[in-house]
Amino acid sequence: MDSKFLLLAGGALLSATVASAGGYQVTLAGQKNNGMGGVGVGLSLDQAAMFYNPGALAMVRDRGVQVGVNFTLARNAYVAEGGSQQRELRNSTVTPFNLYAGFGPAEGKFRAGIAVYTPFGSKLQYANGWEGRTSLTDITLESIYVQPTFSYAITDKLSIGAGLMILAYGSVNLQRDIPLPDSFGHIELDGKAENKVGYNAGIFFKPSEKLSVGISHRSKIDAQVKGGDVSFTNVTSSFASRFEATKFDATLPLPATTSLGLGIMPNEKLTIGLDVNFVQWSKYRVLRFDFDKQVNGSTFSESKRYYQDALTFRVGGQYKLTSGLTVRAGGSYDATPVKDGYVTPETPDNDRISGTLGASYSFGKFGLDISGQYISIKKRTQTTQDLLNNGTTDRIAGTYKTNIVIPGLGLNYNF
Amino acid sequence: MNTFLFRKSAPLVALLGLGLSACQPDLENDVKPSAGSVDFSRYIAVGNSLTAGFSDNGLYLSGQQASYPNLLAGQFRQAGGGDFVQPLFQAGQENGSGYLRLAGFTSTGSPITANVTTSLALRSGATAARPLYTKYIEPVNNLGVPGIRLSDIETVGYGSTAGNPYFERITPDAQATQTYLARVAASNPTFFTNWLGNNDVLGYATAGAAASFLTPIADFTDKNTKVINALTANGAKGLVATIPDVTNIPFFTTVGPAFKATLTTNNVPAVIITTGGFNTSLTGTPPTRRTIATSTIRDASGNGVQLFTLTSSPYVALFGRPNNGKAWRDVYNQARPSLPAVVTLGLFLQLQGVDTTQAFGASNGNPIPSTLVLDDTEQATVRSATTAFNAAITAKANEKGLAIFDANTFFTRVASAGIITNGVTNTASFISGNLFSLDGVHPTPRGYAVVANEMIKALNAKYGARIAEVNPNDYIGVKFP
Repeated sequence: MDSKFLLLAGGALLSATVASAGGYQVTLAGQKNNGMGGVGVGLSLDQAAMFYNPGALAMVRDRGVQVGVNFTLARNAYVAEGGSQQRELRNSTVTPFNLYAGFGPAEGKFRAGIAVYTPFGSKLQYANGWEGRTSLTDITLESIYVQPTFSYAITDKLSIGAGLMILAYGSVNLQRDIPLPDSFGHIELDGKAENKVGYNAGIFFKPSEKLSVGISHRSKIDAQVKGGDVSFTNVTSSFASRFEATKFDATLPLPATTSLGLGIMPNEKLTIGLDVNFVQWSKYRVLRFDFDKQVNGSTFSESKRYYQDALTFRVGGQYKLTSGLTVRAGGSYDATPVKDGYVTPETPDNDRISGTLGASYSFGKFGLDISGQYISIKKRTQTTQDLLNNGTTDRIAGTYKTNIVIPGLGLNYNF
Repeated sequence: MNTFLFRKSAPLVALLGLGLSACQPDLENDVKPSAGSVDFSRYIAVGNSLTAGFSDNGLYLSGQQASYPNLLAGQFRQAGGGDFVQPLFQAGQENGSGYLRLAGFTSTGSPITANVTTSLALRSGATAARPLYTKYIEPVNNLGVPGIRLSDIETVGYGSTAGNPYFERITPDAQATQTYLARVAASNPTFFTNWLGNNDVLGYATAGAAASFLTPIADFTDKNTKVINALTANGAKGLVATIPDVTNIPFFTTVGPAFKATLTTNNVPAVIITTGGFNTSLTGTPPTRRTIATSTIRDASGNGVQLFTLTSSPYVALFGRPNNGKAWRDVYNQARPSLPAVVTLGLFLQLQGVDTTQAFGASNGNPIPSTLVLDDTEQATVRSATTAFNAAITAKANEKGLAIFDANTFFTRVASAGIITNGVTNTASFISGNLFSLDGVHPTPRGYAVVANEMIKALNAKYGARIAEVNPNDYIGVKFP
């Protein structure tokens, strides 16, 4: 399959989302998995194994093509410390997607494939004139990974696999208002990330018909923007000479994720998965922008993030009701990487609890998957004192609460 | 295939609509405003220029609209507050008394200010020396009167054409001789704020301790007691504010640091000033000279003790020039109305022992006039008065169980650390700090919003209320050209 075609598909479907996992991570890579709380590292369900555990790909019976798309609908409320007015996002729907094609001999020991998915992203548009306008008004973060993958079954119980993880497309658009003594200006930073390469590797072990385990690791990629565009609007003439920058550089870590998964198959109809993900968010220390010329007297801006590594626990299962219909359910608990006093409007994050449902119907070589997720991000309050204590007064005090609904749809065709 | 997809997805989309309406989080119930034990239905604001919304050395419409009482009343309305009437200047006269505007900056970055003289509210019969403003005779909730001292509140005729033009403006003709205290006593509030007393130290301080006077503490205590008793007579709850230490305001902290830097660069070890009042009697002695070491002038970091007023800016630029009598000529012109007719400029200079042919500021013969400097001894006098006044204010408030906004503590903190409002840094610096207006004394709309929020915190804590704060960033700092 031609990678240009895949990118074209990526362009057609917006790749961003309000992050569906902690920080700005998105874990919506397989429609079947989406219905099962996002488990998959210890399973060999379908071609999406390329994302969850490349080592399991060789154990996937079918070869085929599958595509999935999700509609991320986030609803957020914010009230400033001491305030009474609730601010809500200017709502937007974004559509993270996934696309897989798997090949290989019917009875052979190997499988190859290519995966396209959107592992990181975020899009938030805050209410006009909201209290945090000088921290952020709008953010759009997009990433598309393309991953050629190869998996080999060493024995009929043990298989390994790896993929070359290519950051094929990445972009950031960040906007905020500039506080001037008698008005607000506006700055927009817009840039594309350079192409970078990482890897996704895994091992899958299935000692019996009733049990399987897997481990996988996706490496960190630093999304690096060089020479992104800086533009200013509404800066009145008295201050125009202080806002001269036209270009910026910035780096955003897309952190490494290590996962451990367990699959339990008590009978032929029932499959249960348990996953733990460990995301090395602690690599995200500061968000720094370097400018070619001054922005209000400085050629850079730096804002503390000080993220901490975070664990996600997932559980999910599927039950084959009839030969055509399979139903799924699951849930997850996602610990936030954002420490108290460090919450920023671009990731109004906290621990998340999600519940998922899903179903598949197959007829012949075609299959249709639907999934639905409800994510509740716990209410999070930070006070002015928290900000003063941590030296993070570039953001605002107040309370955030976010819920996300993510319906998704997938189609697959098996050779 | 397509129709199949549609049939399958249509119920999904409908379900989605339901799911989404349930999805929107709602925090408003957590933060519903409430009045606690206060009845906000009739709020009366008592005070001086700060209460009136005075800014940029003038009282004008947009300053009035951003007065802290008006901002408070807007928030009280969410918790049972009633209408709040201010004596606003009307359209066409919106520039009120006139005010200072920022016209630009010199090549060295010093601000250039200019007077706004159009669309004023002056009425016929007014003169520059004794302005009178278009009357506002409807009942008002904001009784803030620019210039009023606590010592003035029992002065009969204070609201007459010979009195305070701002009080005269809101005094009905039928009660032309009503004192300020009587006006307050008749206001019948259910809730009040009282912030009087600033002018009992401020005028003395801004005149470099060379003019005006400090109200005696006994008089201050007596009148503070009277005004609080009048306000609480019907059981009203309220909030009082203390008097900030005036030495922290940009009026005293802006010129000195730059002057010190210039003197240091030019290796000038000291300057010569006069202290105390001027000599206005033929039998008196010239004012005392004092030598101030350059190193003792307070700089931007707060090192040093001697303060120069904002009004000294054009004069310190003349430092060291011989044959320069501008400073003393201006002192004479200001003092002339209260001088005996025989005192000409020449005689006045002779009485002060001034010889303007000598180098200005660098000689005993041509010293810097006392009005431009608040030296350390004078500051100590101002500070001890402020401390005593604040003790009186606090004691009376505690006796009546009132909320207290400790403006002194608050502005001292702002002077040292600034205040960050929703991610925006504000400081006590002149012009760039957002909080103080072009007169260096009165807050900007942003500054008044910050004051309103501090008052809200104090009264919420005292009365178990939950009045919401305003977003100070919605209010401007200094208006740029």
